[in-house]
Amino acid sequence: MKTKKISIWLVVAAAALMLAAPGSSMAGEVYKTALSLAITGPTSDAGNPYSKGAEDYFRYVNDMNLLGDDTIECTIRDDKYETAITKRNFEEFLDMGIVFYLNYSTGSTLALKRDFDEVKMPTLPASFHAGNIEGSDYIFLPIASYSAQNIGLAEYVVDHHEGGTPKVAMYVHPSAFGREPVKDIEKAIEAGLDIELVETVEHGQDLDVTAMIQRWRSKGVEYVISQTVQSPVATMLKGAGNLGQVAESFGEEGKMTFLGAHYTGGNDLIALAGDAAENFYWTTSYIVTSEPGAGAEAQLELAQRYGRDEKTSNSHNYANGIMVAQVTTEVIRRAKARGNEINKENLYQELLEMNGMNAFYPVTTVGPVTYSKDDHQGVDTLQLYVVRDGAFRAEGKPFISEYAEKIK
Amino acid sequence: MTYFFQLVVSGIVVGSIYALAAIGFVLIYKSSRVLNLAHGQLIAAGAYITYTLTVYCHIPIYISFVLSMILTFFLAMSVERIFLRRLIGEPIISVIMVTIGLMSIIDGVIYLTPFGSENLSFPSFLPSQPIVFQGIYISYTQLAGVLITFLLIGVFSWFFRKSTVGISMRAVSDDQMASMSIGISVPRVFGLAWATAGLTAAAAGGILGNIVGLNFDTLHAFGIIVFPVVILGGLDSLPGAVAAGIIMGLIQQFASGYLDGNWGLSGTASLLPYIVLLVILLFKPHGLFGTHEIERV
Repeated sequence: MKTKKISIWLVVAAAALMLAAPGSSMAGEVYKTALSLAITGPTSDAGNPYSKGAEDYFRYVNDMNLLGDDTIECTIRDDKYETAITKRNFEEFLDMGIVFYLNYSTGSTLALKRDFDEVKMPTLPASFHAGNIEGSDYIFLPIASYSAQNIGLAEYVVDHHEGGTPKVAMYVHPSAFGREPVKDIEKAIEAGLDIELVETVEHGQDLDVTAMIQRWRSKGVEYVISQTVQSPVATMLKGAGNLGQVAESFGEEGKMTFLGAHYTGGNDLIALAGDAAENFYWTTSYIVTSEPGAGAEAQLELAQRYGRDEKTSNSHNYANGIMVAQVTTEVIRRAKARGNEINKENLYQELLEMNGMNAFYPVTTVGPVTYSKDDHQGVDTLQLYVVRDGAFRAEGKPFISEYAEKIK
Repeated sequence: MTYFFQLVVSGIVVGSIYALAAIGFVLIYKSSRVLNLAHGQLIAAGAYITYTLTVYCHIPIYISFVLSMILTFFLAMSVERIFLRRLIGEPIISVIMVTIGLMSIIDGVIYLTPFGSENLSFPSFLPSQPIVFQGIYISYTQLAGVLITFLLIGVFSWFFRKSTVGISMRAVSDDQMASMSIGISVPRVFGLAWATAGLTAAAAGGILGNIVGLNFDTLHAFGIIVFPVVILGGLDSLPGAVAAGIIMGLIQQFASGYLDGNWGLSGTASLLPYIVLLVILLFKPHGLFGTHEIERV
C-alpha cells in the first residue's frame, strides 16, 4: 500500500515537472556567448577591466530585460594570455553551444583564425591587429586597426608639424601586434605620407632608455609613435623626462613629442608614469571618462550599479569590454526583431548589415560601429587625447585616417 | 665623449640593479645548490609590500622600504621552512621543480591581491629634475638605486667574510657534511640563505618599482631577465654577480647606443648580452668567477 502511494506521488511530481517545463521555456530563451581573455598573467591589466565591462553590460541587459524575457549567458574564462588555454576554452565553448564569441589577444586570434572560419563563428577580439581580419570571414575588429591608429597619428604629426618633413621614430612591441603597423606606415609613406621614418625600435624589458633617447636626439627625431603596452612606454617617458627631452607643447623645437596607439595609453599609463605622462598624445576610438559626455556618464553609471571601484570605472578597457558586449547584444536584438532564430549564422548576417542607416551607435566609442562583407573594422573614427594635469583630454575633433584607406 | 660617459653611467645604473637581483640567486645556490626560479616573484612581493606600507599604511617610503626588506626576509624564510627544508637530501631536480611550483603559487596569490592586474607607481619622494654633471644625466631615483645596491653589496661582503653566521654559510656551501661534523646547523643556514635572498629581492623590487613603475609582469619577469647575469658571474660567486651585472648593463647600453639603429641593426641591446654570455661560457663554463670543482678519482 505504502509503495503504491509513493508511486502515485512520483507520477504526480513527474506530471508537475512536465507541466512546468513549457512554462520555463516561455519565460525566455537563453543565448550563449563566451569570452576568453587574460584576467591573470601578462596584459591582465587590460584584460581584467575588459572582462568586467563585458560582464557588467550583459548583466545590465538581463537585469533591465533589454531582450524582453530572453537573456544572454556569457561564460567568461581566464586564459592567462596563453593561446593553448584559449584554444581549449574555445572548444569547450563550442560544446556549450555558443552563438557569438569574444576573443582577446593577437596571438590567439591569429592562431584560431581558421577555427573561427571553420565553425563559422562571428568573433570580436580585443586585438585590433589588421592581420586578424586578413583572409578571415568571421573575425571583426571592434575599432580601427592598430595600423589605422598609427597612420592616423602620423597624419596628425604631418598636419601639425611646422617646417619640413617631420622625423619620426617608432617604438614597438616585438610581436605581430607591434610590427604590422610599421609595415603599414611604410606603405603610407610610399603612398605619399610626408614623414621620415628615422628608426624603429622593438623594445625588450628595458630599465634605462638613455642610449636610445640620445641616439634619436642625435638623428634629429622630433616625434615618437609607440605601438605597444603601457609599461615600456612609461619607462621611456620617464627616461626621456630625466633627459629633459619631452616636448611641453606639440612639436616643440629641440624636444620630442611622444604619441601612442590604443594599448599604450589610458589611465594605466598615468598610474605607471606619473608626472612623466604629461603631454603624451594618445589615440583610440573609445571615449574616456575624463572627458564629460553621455558615454562617460553611461559608463560610470554602469560601473556604479555593479559596484566597480574607481579605477575600473574609469578604465578605457572597461569601455572596451562594454562595447563588445553592446555589439553582441545589438546583433541579437536585431535578429530577434526580424523574427530570426538566434544562431551564429543569423548573427553573422546581422553584423554584415550593420552599416549605413543600420550603423550602431553604442556611446562608448567616438564614432559609429559599421561592418559589411568588405569592412570588418567596427569604428573607423579616432579621437586624439593628450594628458593635461594628469588626465586625458580630447585634442581636436574625431577624425578618420586618410592613408589607412589609401593603402587598403 | 660625453655620450660615451653617459652610456657608462647608464650601464652602471642598470648593471647594479641586475647585480642586486642576481645576489639573491647566488645566496641560495651558494649555500644549498638550489636554483630558486621563483626569485622574480619575491622581487614583485617586495615591491608590493613597500607600496602597501607607503600608500595604505602611510608610512614614509624610506621606512617602508626597510620594513619591506624585513618582511620579505621572513617571507622567504617561511617559504624555505615550509616547502624546501623537507627536501634536503632529495634529488636536485625535485627541489628545482618545487621552486617552479612556488612560482605558480606566488603568481596566483599576487593575482588574488588588488595588485596583480594593476599598474601603479610609488608616490614621488625624490626630486624629479635629474642631476646633470658635465652633460651627463642621472636621475635621483637611479642614483638612489645605485647607492643602495652598493651599500647592500658592501654589507654582504663584510657579512660573509667577518661574521660567524656568514662564515658558517660559506662553510656549508663548501662542504655540507664537513660543516655538520663541526656543529653547524645546515638547515638553519639554508633558512638564512633564503631569508637573505628575500631581503635582497625586496630591495631590488623597491628600486625597480621606483624606476619602471609597479607592473607585475615586468617585476616578476625581471627574475628571469637577470638569470644570464647569474650564469655569467658564476652561480656561486657574489663578486661574480656584481661584476657580471655591471658587464651586462654596459653591454646593453653600448649596444643600444652604438649598434642599434645603425647598419640596419635593431634589438642588439637585448641580444648581445646572450651572445657574450655564450662566448664566455665556451671558455669558462662555470662563469667568470664560478667555482670549478675538481674531483679526484
